[in-house]
Amino acid sequence: MRKVPVFVLTGFLGAGKSTLLNRLLDDPAFAGTAVIINEFGDVALDQDLVRIGKTEIARTTTGCLCCTIGSDLRSSLHELHVLAHIGEIAFDRVIVETTGLADPAPLVNQLIPCGAAATGLRDHVVAKAFELAGIITLVDTVTGEISIENHFEAVKQIAFSDRIVLTKTDLAHDPASLRDIDALKKRLSTLNRSASVVDAKHPDFSLSSLFQPRDYAPASLGGDVIGWLALEEAIRDDHVHSVVKTVETASTPPFERHGARIRTFSITRTEPASPAAFGKFLNLLTLSAGPRLLRVKGLLQDRDDPERPRVIHAVQHAVFPTTILDSWPSEDRRTRVVFITDGIDPEPVRQLFEAALANRPRKARRALGALSTMAETFRSGASQLARALTG
Amino acid sequence: MNRLANPLAPRRALPEKTRQIKEWTRELFKLDDAVVVAITELACRDEDCPDIETVIGIMRPGEKIETRRIHKPIADVERLDFAAWTEPPS
Repeated sequence: MRKVPVFVLTGFLGAGKSTLLNRLLDDPAFAGTAVIINEFGDVALDQDLVRIGKTEIARTTTGCLCCTIGSDLRSSLHELHVLAHIGEIAFDRVIVETTGLADPAPLVNQLIPCGAAATGLRDHVVAKAFELAGIITLVDTVTGEISIENHFEAVKQIAFSDRIVLTKTDLAHDPASLRDIDALKKRLSTLNRSASVVDAKHPDFSLSSLFQPRDYAPASLGGDVIGWLALEEAIRDDHVHSVVKTVETASTPPFERHGARIRTFSITRTEPASPAAFGKFLNLLTLSAGPRLLRVKGLLQDRDDPERPRVIHAVQHAVFPTTILDSWPSEDRRTRVVFITDGIDPEPVRQLFEAALANRPRKARRALGALSTMAETFRSGASQLARALTG
Repeated sequence: MNRLANPLAPRRALPEKTRQIKEWTRELFKLDDAVVVAITELACRDEDCPDIETVIGIMRPGEKIETRRIHKPIADVERLDFAAWTEPPS
């Protein structure tokens, strides 16, 4: 029986995974694609940000796949297999979109023959029915260098890939920016000598060739990748033994790797909002928090055009122009914004959000006062917000 | 592009620091080229520890992988953290 190819689509927060996935799902050549979307945290928003056509099958999982030691991945694949077996669905390719914080090592171990041992019939079925056919890592040319410097997950995502896709190269217009992209390419080649690097904006860029099944061979990716895969299994063994020794309770958190500093929270608002006021809030927050504000994404209900939601994206220091959808992707028409942060408390952000949208400078200043305890940079942000709100 | 980024933003220099930790590990344990050393970061489960720990895997051919843990993020690991490692792990 021919195995179904599984592609892992990864890349650090905001690299453009959902954008590429949308492009792919619009392409008739990918009609037989099942998609597994993984999101960090408990708030599933990507399912609304990725437009799923009628012929594709999607499963969304929350809770980072790499933190659950990949068990969710095998479980999702098994579910797809069973549904196909009883004739409810049909697909000839699976794409797994990871969270931007995913460590690929545990996922790869779940999908390669010499990786994590099968622990039950389900795992044997998955191993017989599916095979890893490629890892595609997206690298944002605006924030890629900072992500490599500051986040180990970004380094591993690049090292494990057999195809690297540069994104947002269209934002580079001047010689200095183009030189920065060349420097980033050199950096990528030191982290992964064998992956081919393509530009998502190049006229010759082909999704079909990117997702052409091939043999994924970790050995060809160098010693670091082999070492990480082996270390992953050793850590997994340590974890299993510690579970046996300490008889953990059901309330014990699952295996984690991102630490308490990395957290996700969301803001939901029932009333429509002014895009201009929201823009002020987001600009100030990104200005103040910078790289610690890892990712903001969401849907905004526009006060003046409530039937057409605005899609919000910000990555670290960069706020991207909003796009407007023709209609709401689901019944849920509330404004929903998800934040993934490194060391930022949610409450002052929520207060700032409410104050900015209600145009309440005094409350905004109080919120910024609370935020200022988190970083010196918020102090300069406070005066800017005060000017922005009163100006 | 990168010049658009905040030049004052902290940089943890993770790739370079990882290479440095590997070199320290090889020096301390007198490891030859046949031994693979791998470094990763994980959330630390011990109370009163920083929330991220560095895990070092030492893979000698034919032997069980030896793991060593430093209760710090990779960026904060120092040469001094290796000082206590004169004895095999318990």
